Amino acid sequence: MKDFTLKDKKLSTISKVVLIGIWIILSAIVQNEVIFPTINSTFKSLVEIVKDPDFINIIVSSLLRSLCGFLISLFLAVFMGILSSVSKLIYNMMIPILGFLSSIPTMAIIILALIWLHNEVVPMFVGFIMVFPILYETVQKGILNVDKKILEMCKLYKVSRETIIRDIYIPSIFINISMVFDSALSTNLKMVIAGEALSQPKFAIGSSLQIEKMYLNTSGVFAWIIIILLISKLLSYIMKVVANFTKVNRWM
Amino acid sequence: MKYRVSNICKSYGDLKVLNNVTIDFPENKTTCILGPSGCGKSTLLNIIAGILDKDSGEIMGFGDETISFVFQEDRLIEWKNVRDNLRLVLKGKMDKKTIEATIDKYLESVNLKEYKNYYPRDLSGGMKQRISILRAFIYPSKVLIMDEPFKSLDINNKRIVMDFLKRLKAMEKRTCVLVTHDVEEAIALADRIVILSDKPSKVKKAMDNLYVYNQSKENEIYMKNEIESVLMD
Repeated sequence: MKDFTLKDKKLSTISKVVLIGIWIILSAIVQNEVIFPTINSTFKSLVEIVKDPDFINIIVSSLLRSLCGFLISLFLAVFMGILSSVSKLIYNMMIPILGFLSSIPTMAIIILALIWLHNEVVPMFVGFIMVFPILYETVQKGILNVDKKILEMCKLYKVSRETIIRDIYIPSIFINISMVFDSALSTNLKMVIAGEALSQPKFAIGSSLQIEKMYLNTSGVFAWIIIILLISKLLSYIMKVVANFTKVNRWM
Repeated sequence: MKYRVSNICKSYGDLKVLNNVTIDFPENKTTCILGPSGCGKSTLLNIIAGILDKDSGEIMGFGDETISFVFQEDRLIEWKNVRDNLRLVLKGKMDKKTIEATIDKYLESVNLKEYKNYYPRDLSGGMKQRISILRAFIYPSKVLIMDEPFKSLDINNKRIVMDFLKRLKAMEKRTCVLVTHDVEEAIALADRIVILSDKPSKVKKAMDNLYVYNQSKENEIYMKNEIESVLMD
């Protein structure tokens, strides 16, 4: 799987250049900084944002919120996923909860969260309701999809239950999680920022985006989007470095 | 006879698969159960291994023994390297030091030490099956059960893996039960060949394999003709 990929660096670079070209052309046609800012003004806004003394605080706060929410989701997903795989009762109790989370509009849950929760907690909660079901189902898949033939082999060779859990079930859970980790982490970050835009905590990327929107500073909004993109890329890169360093997927 | 199955019957609903199957398994010898595809050989093997319940009959000797297995597929764990795959079946059966020494000893004896850190995805089908066979020999058992272990291999790999198995058998005495539908495999590996009929299976004939005692071309042809005539009968 690893050997075969459609990814082509050259084509991807051309696509990026084309997108920038479209941006330049559109901003030249529109000629209105409020509706569609130019690259120049976006870059100026970007420099202003980065120079702001609160910039680091804003980034760190959002990342911490995102990380906290993600870790809570991950821990609960692993915990509940394992419990629901061994208990029919919990498995069935989780079905309506997951159904509720996937069918109710996210905005409705966010509004309820805004009423019930502190504005510092709302972004984490928003991230949680999006990411928890993905991670929970991944954990369950990791447990239920363990090859029955491997389990039969272990039974015949009288491999102890502890060894089966430690050497087969737990790796299977984490292998499955590692496959969605990157996308779950970036979905979580996006949802946390969306939650921040609504709940307006003091230091937050989402709050900053909302402020730029209020002042009709579209170039500021574009600048924040670029910052979010860079953060996402950085997180993705860190994940890759960690995966390479720990050699977690060396068998793939 | 220490190992014996006697009058084994097994049905799946109305379909009778095994009909009064009685086989003796000489100790430290390889008994090959040969029969047409789908005749119930694997069912019999699963009953011997205790995976499947019989309807009636008696199993002697196997229940008290530790048994190792070679399956049709390698059944290696893909996220564990060769050493860890071998280690898995030894955990809890001996102390850590002995486990490592045992693995090293076996890997060295079959010249596979250089593969100890390889993951299954880095190994060919034949090599994976060799590791699966090695796992069966490393496991401290007296009985080795093999369910068509060469089925998924091409002719070249099959020969290599069969030679590998012969080498291990020569190194260590085990009571082996080999199930196959391939006459060539049976002649190459078995001390004793038991031929089953089509469903409902019963023993058609049990014979000593002359080729194992004297590996002449004449004996090979004689055994082949003998087996084929019984199979066609």
